[in-house]
Parts: sequence; structure tokens; C-alpha cells
Amino acid sequence: MGPGFWLITAILALLSVGAAAFWIIVPLPMGVEQAADTAVPTDILFKVLAVIGSALFIYVFGYIVYFAIVFRRPKNAPANTIGVQIHDAPVLEFWWTVIPAVIVLGLAIASVQLLNKIYYTAGDVLTMEAIGYQFGFQFRYPKLANPVSEMHIPVDTPVTVHVTARDVIHGFWIPEIRVKQDMVPGLINTVRFTPTKIGVYPIICTSYCGIAHGGMHSAVHIDSQQDFAKWFAAQQGGTAAAGGGSAAGAAIALSAGSVSAGQALFGQKCSACHSVGPFTQKIVGPGLGHIFDDPDHPKLVNGTAPSPQDIAMILKNGYQGDLGVMPSSQVNQISNTDIANLVAYLVSLSKK
Amino acid sequence: MAVVSTTTTTVAPHAVLDHIHPEPTSFVRRYIFSIDHKVIGIQYMITGLLFFVLAGLLAELIRIQLLHNDARFMSPEVYNGVYTMHGSAMVWMVIIPLVTGGFGNFVMPLQIGARDVAFPWLNLASFWMFPIAGVLLFGAFLVGAPDAGWTEYPPVSLQGPVGTNYWCVAIFLIGISSTLTGINFIVTILKMRAPGMTLTRMPLFVWAQLSTAALSMIATTALAAALLALFLERVFGIPFYDPTKGGSPILWQHMFWFYSHPAVYIMILPAFGIISEVLPTFARKPIFGYKMIAFSSVAIALVGFMVWAHHMFTSGLAPWLQLPFMILTMIVAIPTGIKIFSWMATLWGGSIELTPAMLFAIGFLITFTFGGITGVFLAAIPVDLHAHGTYFVVGHFHYVLYGGSVFGIFAGLYYWWPKITGRMMNERVGLWHFWLTFISFNCTFLPMHWLGLQGMPRRVATYLDSHDAVFWNQVASISSFVLAASTLLLFGNMAWSFYKGKRAGANPWGARTLEWMISSPPPYYNYKRVPAVLATPYDFGNPLPYIGLDSPEGTLPTPQLTAPPAPAPR
Repeated sequence: MGPGFWLITAILALLSVGAAAFWIIVPLPMGVEQAADTAVPTDILFKVLAVIGSALFIYVFGYIVYFAIVFRRPKNAPANTIGVQIHDAPVLEFWWTVIPAVIVLGLAIASVQLLNKIYYTAGDVLTMEAIGYQFGFQFRYPKLANPVSEMHIPVDTPVTVHVTARDVIHGFWIPEIRVKQDMVPGLINTVRFTPTKIGVYPIICTSYCGIAHGGMHSAVHIDSQQDFAKWFAAQQGGTAAAGGGSAAGAAIALSAGSVSAGQALFGQKCSACHSVGPFTQKIVGPGLGHIFDDPDHPKLVNGTAPSPQDIAMILKNGYQGDLGVMPSSQVNQISNTDIANLVAYLVSLSKK
Repeated sequence: MAVVSTTTTTVAPHAVLDHIHPEPTSFVRRYIFSIDHKVIGIQYMITGLLFFVLAGLLAELIRIQLLHNDARFMSPEVYNGVYTMHGSAMVWMVIIPLVTGGFGNFVMPLQIGARDVAFPWLNLASFWMFPIAGVLLFGAFLVGAPDAGWTEYPPVSLQGPVGTNYWCVAIFLIGISSTLTGINFIVTILKMRAPGMTLTRMPLFVWAQLSTAALSMIATTALAAALLALFLERVFGIPFYDPTKGGSPILWQHMFWFYSHPAVYIMILPAFGIISEVLPTFARKPIFGYKMIAFSSVAIALVGFMVWAHHMFTSGLAPWLQLPFMILTMIVAIPTGIKIFSWMATLWGGSIELTPAMLFAIGFLITFTFGGITGVFLAAIPVDLHAHGTYFVVGHFHYVLYGGSVFGIFAGLYYWWPKITGRMMNERVGLWHFWLTFISFNCTFLPMHWLGLQGMPRRVATYLDSHDAVFWNQVASISSFVLAASTLLLFGNMAWSFYKGKRAGANPWGARTLEWMISSPPPYYNYKRVPAVLATPYDFGNPLPYIGLDSPEGTLPTPQLTAPPAPAPR
């Protein structure tokens, strides 16, 4: 290794430092605002990757170009002039295996740490549901009987969004919040974050969903606490009284419900999240074995023990409770007949 | 840094085999339904390059649409069909057939000193499934092209036009072809090497083909099952994937990516092999770290089987399940890094000749490294939760598949063209091709990285104009037109060379692998008598490590046996 090699090494080191400074100083390498707590760790990891990655690229690029220029065969040299006959250099190879391994391990550990922050942020003061359909988004809020087409969330409030879809797979992406989950029909994925900056930001579908996929976006309004309360009150005023599910639609005829059909359907649709054990035996939602007569059962609906019709309304409209979100029949894709069968099955369990 | 001398062992060449099949005389048996691996390889190349032109034209249609954020150049239906067909054709009808069926078939048996592959008739069958599949795939345009992207995620692909069924059958067929080629190559490489060619004396291109063949053979079956289920569901309504009938859309994603992630390595490992041949030849140096390069091919193939779910970080996998996939994906960077560094070290101290093949190999090192680095970005789940499904991903995989596989194909074409046709391509046109391609490639795909990070999703006919998205899309589109035009230089060069090119002779590059020891184009039987192999082929300072070559021909440049004056350290 002659002086030229060390000179180019030094120049590349300077360039790498310059690139690192660029990534660190430029406030937002993605050029996208940070509107939630989740954006901070993501951007830090991005910067770390960018600093390491640009240094690696600068060295590979620089050395390759340098070698290709200085080791060119002179024009007047015969075509069979050979290069330095080196086969390997074990020490060098050891280090260029070990150093990347250490870097990769470090990155993996950092990613795991940050992932904890993203997937398990504290609390869920506001829990809501976002439903994708061809071609738009709907949002359901606790204590709002009907879904709304606008997403409003109060600033500085931990938010949990359960995302799912009605027809095909959609994507739920808010670039300013740096979170994305697929909205998969029949599956509920979860996004957690705390919005930190008031504003209106796009919600973009990132999974091809049909002809108008490119036009499928919506907006999230991050409001001040007061504005959110005002908006929410207006939504409540515009619909029937909140709280009980029974206000949200006509009663479902339950008399024709079949226990055996309900049992079969429970196995397909419900058993992924609900056991038929006692209420406290939770999978995702509570155990439903004694939903009508379990002493552990909290006041489920309007402070009274539930009637079969109440359960039917929860199956119809979905429910937002302390334990999480029960998706609506639209999301679960069950008909009124299915609901009658399921209620008949649940009633039969409680009688045992 | 030790200078290792050739290890001589006592191996004797085969005696002249008396049983050489006569070359078929009829046109059909000779050029259409030939069982000669060289003819089949050329057939693969011609067909693959034809589909490359078609798929490239589709790409230009995409770029014309994206010149404006609310363009009406194509209706969304047509646009969705166009990008789906571009992706499907590039993966299954261009890159995989070219690197395995094309270069693998033509070069690999020559490099191991075989007269053909192990199962020539199977090879013939593998090839003919390919144009049939290609016609079926492009035939989908007549009945309504598939629209859900090359990944065809259900349930949306269940709603897709009739052409989606054509797509299923076409990909199924090319999958069978690929599996059979894999089996054929594994047997050929393991059983038909020339005497003395131990596994660690095989050219690195053969190592790459061996790893690739294993991947094709094992992974493609998962795709076949997934495709069959999709077809049955679309045509007969058997619910595998529809959640309303008890199916699981996530099932498809697991099955599809269990194949399609290894497929990424099926596309790139042979390109690694091409680079490993081109670099030592034009640097007049042994490949640096032969064993580590061969080992890392195998390591990449192995780990490549265990990373598929990194395409599914946003699909709702449990977080604890995502972690091993993230870590294993990052681990792939280690063997890949070993390769990149070894190739860099091969350049050091070389006697480098910058031919078009060499320039494309060097260009490959640069663009592939870039794509590899952005791959680590995407492996990190927190970043992926932002970048997944955006143009950042599009930029990333074009850097590894175009800047990697296609640059590798270009390098291979320039390198083996004289062997295939017996004629030289015009070097000056080749240099223009390289520089135009290299610059326009980067201007096309680099802006996609920030377009994606700033909010542009994949697979959209229209997009939001935020963060100068329209401007950067126009930069990408205009550069892509230059990229397409530069590719015409290659085709023009090939056509010109075929009729007017200078005669190449057996070994125009002064290379040392076996295929250069016989005339160009090689005779029907390849080797009248199979030579014995004494060492790895890359020791430029030593005599050729072969005994019993057919005919020295006098065209082989004799390497300087005494080391030249040591180059001044630079």
C-alpha cells in the first residue's frame, strides 16, 4: 500500500464525515414532518443507517474507482501483462467479515429497542378503528354509533388504531407519523402512537387494492384537545345517542337462531379472539362462555346485564370497551342470520 | 499475502471418447428442437432478450404516465395491467431465464468440461415451456391483463380480470421449467465435471449456478402450490385465500415469498458468478478469496430461505415473529459484503483493461452495493414500517435487479459474445452503452428513494404532488427514456457484430476458464477429449492448469510465466 492508497483513504474518510454531518445536521432527511412520537425513533434509526451506509458506499465506490484508474494496464503494455498474484489475505478477510457482523448486530439490537417504542407505546387513551374499503377509509370511535369518514385525533393523547378492511387488503400509512400497517380483511392490525403536532396529514393506501388505488387517500386531523372535543360533540349530536348499541339500528330477529350453526360459525369467526371459557379467560377479547350470567362480567352495556339483543347489537355494530375493540359485522362479514345463530349458541353456553 | 503456486496432482485426461454423436443435419433438429446445451442456451438468450425489449417498453409506458401526477395517458385499468406485466415479465421471462437458462446453459457445461448437461431432452422440455409461458403471459393483454402487481396478493387478485388466470398458468409453467433446469444443473455440476476438477477448482460461475439450481429446485415448488391454489380459487371458487369463506390472504403471502425471496437470489447469484469471471480476466489476477466467494454463495442461498417474512412486516405478524426475520435478513449483508470486498480486492494491483464487460462488472459493484445498503434499511423494521410499499422499495429493488442482475447480464453478454458467435462486438459502441446506461440508470432510480420516503406509494397511476414529486418523477422518466435508448446501442452492436464483427478466435480476452480453450463458437461436441484439471482457473502467473486440451490452436496468449516487474505500490 503506497502513499496514493493512504491519500485516497483519507479523502474518503473526509467525504464520509461530510456525509455523516449532512445526515445528522439536516433536520429531517426524509423531508417529512414529525407529527408523532413514533417518528422520532424511526428517524434516529434512519440517520444511523444513513451514516453507516453512506460511509460504506463512499469507501466501496471510492476504492473501486481509484483501483480501476491507477491499476489500468498501460496502453503500451502487452495484453498478457499480469497483475499482482495474490489469492487471499486471511487477516483482511477476517476483519471484513467481523466488522460488518458487529455493525449488523448493533443495528439489529437498535432496531429491536426502537421497535419496542413503536409497537408498545404507553397506554391507549383513545382507541379507535380504521376500516379500509375500495376506495376509501372509514373510522369508528367509541361512543359514536356510526362510522365517520374523517379521522380526527387529539394532540398529545396516546392513540391506538385498530386497522382492518372490508373487502381486499389496503395499507394504512401516515408518512408524518412513520407508521404503516396493512388493513387485512378478517384480521385486525394495530398502530399505536401519540400525535405531537397539530395539523392535517395525508393517510395513504400502500397496498394495491384495485383500479382506483392511486387515488385512495384520506387525511388525519391532529386537533388541539378543545377542537377535538368540539368535533366529537358535533359528531355525537349528528347521530343517535351514544353508549348502548341498541340505539344504532333496528332489533335483529333472534328467535330463529340455530345453536349448531352458531357453534360452527364461532369456530370460524370468533375463536381466534374469544374462548368459550369464563369472561376473564382472555385471548384477544374476553371469554364468552358465560357472557350472560358470569359474576366476573362487568356492566357490559348501559350498566345492566346484557340481554341477547344487546349482544346481537355488539355483533352488528362492534364495540369499544376497556379490553379493546370488537369489530362490527361489516368488518367481520357476518349477516343478521349469522348473528342470530351466534347469539343462540352463546345463550346455550350460559345455560350450562 | 502469500503467493500460492499451482498444486499439481496426478490426474490424467480422459482418452479420446470414440463415441461422439454426429451433429444433426436437419434445420429443425439443429436450431429449433435441438438438445445441444449451447443451442438451447442461445434460444433462451434470444427469447429472454425479446421479452426484455417488451418488458422495457412497458416500463417506458409507466414512466410516461408518471410524467404528471394526474395523467390521463393510460386509464388506470391499462396502467395497472402494464406495471403488473412489466414486473412479472422482468422477473420470470427475462432475468431468471437469461441468467440460468441462457448463461447457465451455454457456459456452465463448457466450464466444467462436459459435452452437454446431464439430461439434454429435459433441457429441451425446460426451454420450450419458456416461450409458451411467455406467450400466455403476454396473451393476457388480449383478455384483460392481470392488475395486482407481480405479487398478485389476494383478495384483490381474486377480483382481477380473466388475464390473471393466464398469469397463474404462465408462471406455473415457467416455474416447472425452472425447477427442471435446477435439477438438471445440479446433476450436471455434481456428476459431469472433468477429471481433476474438484469442487474447489470449479469456476465461480459454476458455484453460482450450483447454488442457484438448489434454490430453483427447492423454492419453486412453494410457488407452484400457491399458484395452483390461486387458480383453483379463481376458477372453481375453492376458498384458499378469501377470508369471507374461511380462507387466509396471509397464507398466499407466506407461500409467495417463500419462493419469491429466494427468487431474488436466483436472479442475483448467477450475476455474481458472471462478475467473478469477468473481474479476474480483465484484471489479470486470481480472484481474491476464491473459497470465501464460493462459500458466501452457498451461505446466501441457505440464509435466503429463512428471510421471506421480511416482505410482510406490515401484514400483521406478531412482533416476536418479525425479529428473527429482521436479524436473518441483516445477516445476509455479511456474506454479500464478503463478496463485494473480495471483488474490490481483485481489482487492487491488477493489470486492468476497461472493456465494456469489465466496465459493466465495475458498474455492477457500485450499483449493487448501493442496492444492498438500502436493503439493510428495509430490513430494519422501524424504517420498513415507513418505507414498505413505497417508491423507496421500487428504487431499492431496481438497484439490485437492474443495477445488479441486468448489469451482470450486460457484462456476461459482452464477455461471452465472442465465444457464442465467434465475433467481436464494437468496443467503442460498448463504452458508449456503458456510460449512457450507468448515468441514466442512476438518474432514473435514485430519485425514487426520496419520492418513496416522502409519501409516494407503489403501483399508483396517479399520485399526490407533495415535496416536488412531479419534478422528481419527470427526472426519473426522462432518464428512463435515455436508459431505453442506450440499450438500443447494445442491440445494434450485437446485430452489427453478428455480420460484420472481427473474428474473435478461441480466446480473445486471454481468459483461463475451460470454455476459452476451444474454438469460438465451440464445436458441437465441445471437447473431443475431456481435459484434466490441475488447479483453479484464475492463476494468471502460472501455466494453464489443463492437460490434454483438444487443440492449442496457437491463439491462446501464453501468460508471462515470470512475474512482471512488481508494480510500484499505489
